[in-house]
Amino acid sequence: MAKPELKWIETPGTTQARTLAGLRAALAARQGAAVPQPPERLLPTGIGPLDLALGGGFPRGIIATLEGPMSSGRSSVAFRLAAGAQTRGLIAAIDDGTLFAPAIAAAGVALDRLVTIDARDPIAIARSADIVLRCGAFSLVLIPALTLSASAWTRLGMLAHRSGTLLLALGASASNELAYFASLRVGARIDRVHWEGASGVFCTLTGYDVRADVLKHKRAAPGKHAVFFVRAFEGFSDADHLRIRPLLQTHNGHARSPALGRAPRVARG
Amino acid sequence: MLDRPLLDGRPALLVDKLERGMVLDTSARAADLGARPGMTLTQAVACAREAEVYVDDRARCRALWDQLLEALDAASPLVEDAAEGTAYLEMRGIEGTPARWIAAVRETLADWPLGVRLGCAANKFTARAAAIMEDGRVCAPGSERTFLAPLPLAMLALPRDTREKLALLGVGTLGDLAKLPAGPFTRRFGNEGMRWHARARGIDPAPIVPRPRFLAIDHTLYGAGSAEREEQVFFALRTLVARVAEDVALAGRHCGKLVLTLECENGDVHHISCVLAQPTAQASMFFDLLRARVEGLALGSPLAGLRLGAERLEEGGRALSLFPSSDPDPEILQLMIARLDAALGEGAARRIDAGPGYRYETRTTHAAFTAPVQRSLRVAPESAPPLPQTAPLQFRLRKPARIEVTIAQGGPAFVGTPPQAVLDYAGPWRSAEGWWDIPLARDEYDVLLEDGTLYRLARCGKEWMVTGAYD
Repeated sequence: MAKPELKWIETPGTTQARTLAGLRAALAARQGAAVPQPPERLLPTGIGPLDLALGGGFPRGIIATLEGPMSSGRSSVAFRLAAGAQTRGLIAAIDDGTLFAPAIAAAGVALDRLVTIDARDPIAIARSADIVLRCGAFSLVLIPALTLSASAWTRLGMLAHRSGTLLLALGASASNELAYFASLRVGARIDRVHWEGASGVFCTLTGYDVRADVLKHKRAAPGKHAVFFVRAFEGFSDADHLRIRPLLQTHNGHARSPALGRAPRVARG
Repeated sequence: MLDRPLLDGRPALLVDKLERGMVLDTSARAADLGARPGMTLTQAVACAREAEVYVDDRARCRALWDQLLEALDAASPLVEDAAEGTAYLEMRGIEGTPARWIAAVRETLADWPLGVRLGCAANKFTARAAAIMEDGRVCAPGSERTFLAPLPLAMLALPRDTREKLALLGVGTLGDLAKLPAGPFTRRFGNEGMRWHARARGIDPAPIVPRPRFLAIDHTLYGAGSAEREEQVFFALRTLVARVAEDVALAGRHCGKLVLTLECENGDVHHISCVLAQPTAQASMFFDLLRARVEGLALGSPLAGLRLGAERLEEGGRALSLFPSSDPDPEILQLMIARLDAALGEGAARRIDAGPGYRYETRTTHAAFTAPVQRSLRVAPESAPPLPQTAPLQFRLRKPARIEVTIAQGGPAFVGTPPQAVLDYAGPWRSAEGWWDIPLARDEYDVLLEDGTLYRLARCGKEWMVTGAYD
């Protein structure tokens, strides 16, 4: 059944016109965030499309998730977020020995303000998060997406709220408990992979497009998505400049979508 | 001399080590025979064949010297530790005459196992000269120049070439030097020359620099029954902490390190040391830190006693800004680190750093995270450095693990078990490092698999390994 269409007679300067203008402004704001958040309560990622989809950034004082399989770009988004969050406090991350410091530094994170905690099992990770959140000096805490009891997530959520810290869980998927207690869930997946040069020795990974979907947002409308480019990190080794990639940089660019199998080559501008 | 008192007057050499050792010092008799500090042991033994050789025991010497300095504290409140073997005491303001002062010092050193030489004068240089001349010698104020005149130039520790030049000028004693006109001598030998000339005339303006006085604060709690339950232990700990904190505050100090010793009924002793990033005198801070550490302990039996010592006592407090600061308090961070250490083990909170290198797996280094003391942890958003325009791709290291790779047309076609098709790949790039030490040569590939995972593979000979993944 079609909804009846409302028509307003607009007369500039009347009370009705001012009300209408106010409603339109509120609706425009609602497209970004249902409940407009003051900027100091948000941690922007610095990735324009994603911040727009999130209504300005990740809110502080909540549990949020960044879900996606390996190579989905979740860590890239997380450490980009961490770089911006460092202006509001320290950053803590659970490190199982896989963090690669040069890439984190390239994201803009000041490594001397990043506390990495060597914790492996879920209980140890939960205890670490508890201790760090209690400290109150942190703006962002990165943990793996664990399977914990509902009471544990309740406690962590309460501590995050009290300290104004964003507790961000990274993982392939969120458990039922985490999905319930997370105020914001973002799913990430790889969209297209960009290469330079034909496959083989003359080829270099230049980055990939990440698609981020807002799966759940308690303070804005979910369902929005953003696609953005994540550039490949250069500087793995002191010998990277010796690669012959720059010789063939001009006409060999192509992109592939893993979902589509062997995608056609796309020439770069 | 302690071990072999009969060596007094006999040749002896002090060396740093027996094998290819260097002579550090010689006895007077060995010096007469030609042995000198700085010679190799072989050279010195060639000069003084009957000399006994001793290896320097620095720790023992230092302990003995500290024992002497502590004993001297009883004679004067201002004691300067000039070097190992020389100490100056400020006796001005202490009742008595020089002879009585010397007697008092000698009395305080009655238990000192080695001999001492004492001298008394109006300044440090003359006092040292008096002690060297004769034990117990006193130089009356105003007679320094006359007193020093017969002494050789060696008292001034002149450089060899200067000594030779002065010898050519016919200057052999301090008296000879004092007779030279000060202006031309200073112009010829510079500022150092001016100082030598002044000393030769008995003038030494160098003040006594007293050594920092050692202050120890510790308290114990024993014999009041045993503490079995957690709340009993913490009650005892809180009592002990209050006493120590009160003493620290009374001394006007701030404590940088706490050492807690727990003694159990079964004889177990646990030592807990807790370093404070920001020295403080707050009892609550002491208690929180120690509680976090004690919570991580598993005690085998009830506690019989506790001992708490405050170390690294520092003067003054923290500089406070006129304007309120939003920086995280280093004490809070310290408490967090202590709690993490208690929960996960020592060194759980780490700082990562990016080092140089050709092998990316060795570029990430770890160190213990210490609470930063600087007051600029929070940066105003507008003053923060600009972030890169696009987010860089992150990389996750993996412990190298063997993986099955099928090669087709010169490149990887299928990876893993069950095999996944390779959609695209980049490489190989040759990495070679450490050929001078541990040979490493491998080819590296970036491969995109059909499930969308981007891996970094390495091929060493016929073996393929996955070393990391993009994320």
